[in-house]
Amino acid sequence: MEEDILNEIVSSEDLKKFEKKYHIELAAGNLQRQTRFNYAWCLVRSRYSADIRKGIILLQELCRTEDLSNESSKRDYLYYLALGNARIKEYTTALQYTRAFLQVEPGNQQVATLETLIKKKMETDGIKGIALAGGVALAVGGIVTLGFALAKGKSK
Amino acid sequence: MSAPPYSYSYIFKYIIIGDMGVGKSCLLHQFTEKKFMSDCPHTIGVEFGTRIIEVCGQQIKLQIWDTAGQERFRAVTRSYYRGAAGALMVYDTTRRSTYNHLSSWLTDTRNLTNSSTVIFLIGNKSDLKDQRDVAYEEAKQFADENGLMFVEASAKTGDNVEEAFVETAKKIFQRIQDGRLDLNATESGVQHKPSQPGRTTLTDQSPKNTCTC
Repeated sequence: MEEDILNEIVSSEDLKKFEKKYHIELAAGNLQRQTRFNYAWCLVRSRYSADIRKGIILLQELCRTEDLSNESSKRDYLYYLALGNARIKEYTTALQYTRAFLQVEPGNQQVATLETLIKKKMETDGIKGIALAGGVALAVGGIVTLGFALAKGKSK
Repeated sequence: MSAPPYSYSYIFKYIIIGDMGVGKSCLLHQFTEKKFMSDCPHTIGVEFGTRIIEVCGQQIKLQIWDTAGQERFRAVTRSYYRGAAGALMVYDTTRRSTYNHLSSWLTDTRNLTNSSTVIFLIGNKSDLKDQRDVAYEEAKQFADENGLMFVEASAKTGDNVEEAFVETAKKIFQRIQDGRLDLNATESGVQHKPSQPGRTTLTDQSPKNTCTC
């Protein structure tokens, strides 16, 4: 498979390394935000969706508890929330995060690229679904639903 | 469902590293899109870009991981070094501090990549001539002492950008031909994509060591 930002996989040794640091600090009652972020960043790049979901929860917590003045950390969380959601095929949620980001930083090329990639995956998944189901009627229905989903996304 | 035939015969993995604000993402963007981003925000984590180039008659796909320069990403971006065939190490010719940090970037690279990884030093922002803070000769000497390839480049004008990426690929390809880079080794940073049966490529016929570039 072509490697890109949405299917690149964290090595298990890295995941373990950052997981260990997280649990040590947690047990000591001294959990650093940086440690939580590093662990979450590895989790959302896992091959397992359970890990990705866990990473998303950590990022949401970080986002909720972040100092309002700390804009630069917030953009990190939003970016990886978009990425994590896209990797578990929660495309609509993923696009909500990229859109939220682009509202604050409209010209951000990195996030615009991620958004394009998500939309492309959304489309391929839709087409694959159609191919599996077969039948012209279903295909038409699929395209309409997909078009609707995209239009809904755009109008928000 | 069968995979589409590859339009390239090798994949080389690259990383781009260096202090924040030296123009790593702008260099990547200039190389992949041939455009200059004038307002380039700080990269979040890592960015990714690809481009297919031709080296010695071979189509080579470069998969480039552009790492964020900010300290808070450092722990995790280190994991992208592993398995890089090429490392572009960037400093800013107008900011001496970014040059002074090169030895620590180099140590990291040497520790985290393998011995066959090609390291290319880029002094970016060469267009800002009157703001120069690091002499060409000084950087050249540093590069020579450490066995690095080196150019001064400008992501803004595009000067020497293509050269840096392509020369790195040529060097990697040379190392494959020399046998210094083992294609079968894990984490060599190179994948060979054998041509499809029934599809002939020019390279199948050519002897292995005729590359003169």
